[in-house]
Amino acid sequence: MARLKYRPLNLGRWLVWGGTALLMILLPQILTAGFTLTLLSQIGVGIIFALSYNMLLGQGGMLSFGHAVYSGMGAYFTVHALNLISKGAFYFPVTLTPLIGGVAGAFFGVIFGYVTTKKSGTTFAMISLGIGEMVAACSLMFAGFFGGEAGISTNRVIGEAFLGISYGPSIQVYYLIVGWALICMVAMFAWTQTPLGRMANAVRDNPERAEFVGYDTHMVRFLTLVISGFFAGIAGGLSCINYEIVTAENVGALRSAGVLIATFIGGAGFFFGPIIGSIVFFTMVTAIGSITQAWAFYLGLLFLVIVLYAPGGFASLIAMHVPVIKARLMRRLWLPYSAALATGIALLAGLVSVVEMTYHFSTEAGANPNMKLFGLAFNVTHAAPWAVASALLVGGFIISRFAWNLVGRTWADIVHILQEQSA
Amino acid sequence: MSTAIELKGITKSFGNTAIIRGVNLAIPRGERHAIIGPNGAGKSTLFNLISGRYPVTQGEILLNGEVVTGLKPFQINRKGLSRSFQITNIFPRMSVFENIRCAVLWTLGYKYSFWHRLGGLKDANLRTEEVMESIGLKARRDTLAGVLSYAEQRALEIGITIAGGAGVILLDEPTAGMSRTETADAVELIRKVSQGKTLIMVEHDMGVVFDLADRISVLVYGEVIASDKPENIRGNPAVQEAYLGTEAH
Repeated sequence: MARLKYRPLNLGRWLVWGGTALLMILLPQILTAGFTLTLLSQIGVGIIFALSYNMLLGQGGMLSFGHAVYSGMGAYFTVHALNLISKGAFYFPVTLTPLIGGVAGAFFGVIFGYVTTKKSGTTFAMISLGIGEMVAACSLMFAGFFGGEAGISTNRVIGEAFLGISYGPSIQVYYLIVGWALICMVAMFAWTQTPLGRMANAVRDNPERAEFVGYDTHMVRFLTLVISGFFAGIAGGLSCINYEIVTAENVGALRSAGVLIATFIGGAGFFFGPIIGSIVFFTMVTAIGSITQAWAFYLGLLFLVIVLYAPGGFASLIAMHVPVIKARLMRRLWLPYSAALATGIALLAGLVSVVEMTYHFSTEAGANPNMKLFGLAFNVTHAAPWAVASALLVGGFIISRFAWNLVGRTWADIVHILQEQSA
Repeated sequence: MSTAIELKGITKSFGNTAIIRGVNLAIPRGERHAIIGPNGAGKSTLFNLISGRYPVTQGEILLNGEVVTGLKPFQINRKGLSRSFQITNIFPRMSVFENIRCAVLWTLGYKYSFWHRLGGLKDANLRTEEVMESIGLKARRDTLAGVLSYAEQRALEIGITIAGGAGVILLDEPTAGMSRTETADAVELIRKVSQGKTLIMVEHDMGVVFDLADRISVLVYGEVIASDKPENIRGNPAVQEAYLGTEAH
C-alpha cells in the first residue's frame, strides 16, 4: 500500500504518470501491425474498467461477479445519447459523452449498490452475481432499450469536424480513449489517497474495527461501489464510441468474468496491477486470439497458474523484485531465471503443440489433416508429430521442475540475506 | 447531569441462557471504573452491550444521559464512546500511522470525504503524530501493524481507541498476556491517556485494578454483587467469597 509522504511535489510520481502518458501517446506510432490500434484501444478502455473493478476487489475487498452491469449500462446510455444527439434532440460534445455513461454507471451503482453492499464477502459476491443475471435477463425483456439480439448501433461521427476531430478515423478514437484513460487513472489513484479511499481499505481489512472508530461499513462500501460504477460507466461509454454498437454482451456475465480475470492476473493488491492485467488480458484475447482459436484455453491456464503460484498477480511479482534490485542481488537470479525461461519455453512449446494439434485434429482433421505450427508443416493424423509434442511436454515439465527448484532455492537465499540486512 | 454511563436493568440472553441478569450501574463522568469478576461472569459481554456490538435483550443504556440502546457501534462511537478489544483488533495490513489516522478521521469531520487529500489534512496528521507519541510508537510509524510485537499491538489498540478523542473509553483486558514490565508501562499509558476522561475497564490483573480504579464493580454470574471504592471491595465478604477467594491472583 502506498504510504503518504509529506511532499508537495512528488517527482517520482510525475515521472511515472508522464511516462505512462507519453507511452500511450507514442505507441500507435511505434507499433503499426494491423490489429495494434484495435488492441491498444481495447487496452485503454480495459484499464479504466479494471481499475474501477479493483476499487471494489483490491481496495474495498468486495469480490464482484457482476461489474459489467455498470459498464454495460454506461454503454447503453451513451449509445442512446449519441443517437439522440445525432437526431438533434439536444447538443452535447461527443468527446464528453463517456461522462453520460459514467453518470449512468453511478446511478445504477446507487440503485443496486445499496442492497449489494449491505454485506461483504460471500454474500456480496452472490448478490452481485444475482444482479448481473437479472440485468442480463432484462436485456432480452426490454428490447426497446437493449436492442434485443442485434443490440443498438450508433454513429460516433456527428456534425462538422471540430479542429479536424470528427472521431471518424480510429486513431482519433484511440486518442480520445487515451485522454479519458489518463484522467480516470489519475482520478482513481487520487481516490486511494482520500479519507473514503483509506477507510475502504480499513473496512476491507477489519470491518469491525472500522465500525468502532465511527464508520458505517455499509456506507463506505456503498459509496465505493457508486464511485466504481461511475468509472466503469465511463469505460462503457468509451467502448460504445469505439465499436459504435452496444449489445447484451456488454452487461453479460462473460464481461464481468473478464474484468475479474484481468484484474486478478495483474494483481489486485497494487494500484497498477489492473493496468498490467488489462494489457496482458487483451493481448491474449486480441493478439493471440487472432492467431489461434485456443486463446481462451491459454487465458484460462494463465489465470490458473497465477491463482496457484502468484496470487498477487504480475504486480506482486514485480514488487517482490524491488528490494532485490535495491540490495544489488539480481545477479544471483539471472542464471536460475535463464534456466527457468529456457525450460519453460520447451514446456510451453510442448503444451502449445499438443493443444493446437488437438484443436486441429478435432475440428478440421477430416477435411484437411495438414497443419502448420512454429513454421513446420506436418500431418496431424501421423504419430510422429504427436510423439515429438508429447516428448516436449513431458520432458519440458521434468526439466522445468529442476529449474524451478533452483529458482526457489536462490530466492530462499536472497530472502535470508535481505532479512539479515534489515535486522 | 454528570453520569457518563448508566445501565438500567440490563439483561442479555443467548438462547435460553441469561449471561447478563439485570445489571444496574451508574458511572460518573471522569471516573476510572474497573469491572472484575471470575471467568464467564459476563464482563466482556457487558462491554459488547454497552458499545453496541450485541443488542441488549432488556433494559436501557444511557450515554451522557442519552439513550443509546439499539444503536449501531458506529453511532455509539460518534456519540463519544470508544472501546478496545480483548483480542487485538487493529488494521494489520496498514502502518501504525495509518491505523491511528483511520481512527481520527471521523471525529475531525472528514467522514466519507473523497475530495480531501489525506496528505494535506494537517489537523488529522498532527493529531495522529500526537497519539503515536503518547502511546510510544513514534519510532514504529511506518511499520505494518501486523508485524508489531504483542505489547506494541496492545499499545496501538489503545491508541486507536483514544485517537478519536472520545470522552468515554472502554478497555477490555488491556494488559492481558503482558509481562510485568510491559504491564507497568501499560498502566502508565492508560493513566496518561484516560486523564480527564471516563474510563471503564475489564481487567484480571488485580494489581492493575487496585492501582488504577477509582471504583470497582464485581460481576458474578451476570449480576453486579458490589460496586464500591477499592478499599471497600477488598474488605467486602461477599466479594471475597464469590471472587477473590475462589481465584488466585
